[in-house]
Amino acid sequence: MDLSRRRFLQAAVLTAAAAGATAACGGGSGSSGAKDSKNLTLWYWSGGLSDKVVADAKKHFSDISLKTSVVGGDFKTKLLTGLRAAQSAPDITGIKGEDIASFLPNADRFVDLKTVGADKLVPQYLSWKLKQATTQDGKLIGFPIDIGPCATFYREDLFAQAGLPTDPTEVSAQLATWDDYFKAGVELHKAVPKTFLVNNIGSVFTMVVGQGTQRFIDEDGKFIGDQDHIRAAWTTAVKPYTLGIDAKINDNTWNAAISGGTLGTEIGAAWHALDISNAAPGTKGKWRVASLPGGPSNLGGSFLAIPATSGNPEEAFKIISWILGPENQARGFTDAALFPTAPAAYKLPALTGGDAFFGGQKTIEIFGPAAEKIPAAYEAPADAAVSAPFYSELTSIEAKGKDPDEAWKDAVAQAKQIAQRQGVK
Amino acid sequence: MSAGARRGPRRRVAGYWPQYLAISPYYLIFSVFMLFPVLYTVFLAFQKWDGIGDMHFVGFQQFRFLWDDPVFWLSVRNTLVIWVLSTVPMLFMALVLAVLVNSTKRLTAFYRVALFIPSITSLVAIAIFFGAIFSNNFGLINAILRALHLSAVPWMSNEWTIKLVISALMTWQWTGYNAIIYLAGLQAIPSELYEAARMDGAGPVRIFRSITIPLLRPIILFTVVISTVTGLQSFTEPQVLFGSEAATNPNSGGPGQAGLTTLLYFYHQAFDNNDFGYGAAIVWAFFLLILLIVGINWRLVQRKERRS
Repeated sequence: MDLSRRRFLQAAVLTAAAAGATAACGGGSGSSGAKDSKNLTLWYWSGGLSDKVVADAKKHFSDISLKTSVVGGDFKTKLLTGLRAAQSAPDITGIKGEDIASFLPNADRFVDLKTVGADKLVPQYLSWKLKQATTQDGKLIGFPIDIGPCATFYREDLFAQAGLPTDPTEVSAQLATWDDYFKAGVELHKAVPKTFLVNNIGSVFTMVVGQGTQRFIDEDGKFIGDQDHIRAAWTTAVKPYTLGIDAKINDNTWNAAISGGTLGTEIGAAWHALDISNAAPGTKGKWRVASLPGGPSNLGGSFLAIPATSGNPEEAFKIISWILGPENQARGFTDAALFPTAPAAYKLPALTGGDAFFGGQKTIEIFGPAAEKIPAAYEAPADAAVSAPFYSELTSIEAKGKDPDEAWKDAVAQAKQIAQRQGVK
Repeated sequence: MSAGARRGPRRRVAGYWPQYLAISPYYLIFSVFMLFPVLYTVFLAFQKWDGIGDMHFVGFQQFRFLWDDPVFWLSVRNTLVIWVLSTVPMLFMALVLAVLVNSTKRLTAFYRVALFIPSITSLVAIAIFFGAIFSNNFGLINAILRALHLSAVPWMSNEWTIKLVISALMTWQWTGYNAIIYLAGLQAIPSELYEAARMDGAGPVRIFRSITIPLLRPIILFTVVISTVTGLQSFTEPQVLFGSEAATNPNSGGPGQAGLTTLLYFYHQAFDNNDFGYGAAIVWAFFLLILLIVGINWRLVQRKERRS
């Protein structure tokens, strides 16, 4: 076959032009340009928002075409990629609670929600949660979807077998401090030898750190992970290991452990209830919820934010505040176990009803008061990176039987090194 | 005349331009999606960058930190141990399997397909399956051990058994793939050589050592290099087995970081901690290390060839 030079060139140029035109159109149809676009996109991850509430939002804002994408995989990485090019950035996006701190130094990439109407709504939401999304100069970049007030989930039947109290109020009272909790764990393990108190000691460490008002880096950007508050959390975390009531579960066998009765208690956030009921549907009715030993703590809880490139920030915030209004938050709680960030929702029937999985217990009586008393702690952008060695060393204690004091020294040394690289003093 | 000879090759290239144009899409796509990112990471390795904010030039600071980073060296040790534990039995078993399949006359097509299946199965699925089999409290292997009144082994929490499980997974996946390559090599060996050896009274072991191995040497060299490159890149195996163990410290390689391979550490730094500059420094340092190891490997296998 003879392809003439001219025909070939023509074809090549045409193909290239067509490709270029398609690309250009793709870019042009995005939401860049005027700030009153009627086409808005919303990114969240599966379970990040109530799908039912999102579907209703589309109907409620009928003059806007709201396009939602449930983004799978590593959400933060995809969001970072999206934010780099204005055309591909969503107009509204979810940001996970553990990632919000890392976005604060780049607050200019987001709309300050106080400029589009959030300032009026702020008093209705939990102040410690809003603080997580507020920069040091007062810009609010995220509106809170949910929180993770923590509690002790426990197996009522196993507690009864061990002669421990079974009523949530009594359990909360008797297991009020970490030492009381561990003491109960020893009794539980003695009475039911296959049952342990905690799944791993890292989870205890997370809880105790969350109970404090300081984390690993202070507001002046100074590393404080070697100070007493972290050391105390470490000592508390190591105790269940030395007492032999640590199940040492660091792999993906947690599901089996929870359904097989290997774990008598679980310390975790409100949303953890869904994990437990999914992993062990057979134990329905046997679980109860009591207060967390040592005071309230928070784990996770996400935000909705508006990237600075949003086609219509005003309208975008109207959608956000509608989705996250107390009524819809209550629906989100029943639908997707998202614990509301507006205390007004705690009085709504969706939350005050009993939970069949917890034997009809009204779990809001535990979570509600805890949510309002959670201490606000400054979380630096490098907090996760700097805290990583502590968790790794705690698993080393569990896996290799490493001496806890030596593990502490190694954790602090490594954390200091990471802090130095991250520009922390 | 001389001028024409000099211009010759160039004219030949110009004369074949449609063909070069026809193969150009691959090179274009390669440059945009592979070559450019690779070069970009060189640039990134000298910057501090969190993904969306401003970049700050930090010179060799990332590499200096890398040199003193105990976790990086731990990850390199882990990777090397896992690589040796997987590659040695893998290539040995592949060779044995290939000789066995080569010697059968029946069902050869079936054996070939069966050998190839593990390498095209989703690695994530295999990893989940291995995780279930080796699980400490609920795994199949420990259930069998308990049924035989032996004590259960904490496969997923001991620092050595973690590496063993990851290596077993890789061995399982790539043994058949290498066996197919060996099989191709075996079939290229003329059967007269075997007949002649048998006439001279050589037993199967002698035939294997004196004919099969020497003639397969180039193929073995190839598989050693390929296995070195893929084995050192182990990432998905520990990522799936231990990846999401804790929301607070994801991708840290399981208990005691025993399953933390270098690529998993890179992923952790770049994508969990948003430290893209340091991530780039890790992969470049590791790239140089892989080059070194492939070079040593090549020399070792080559020298054996020269000696024999």
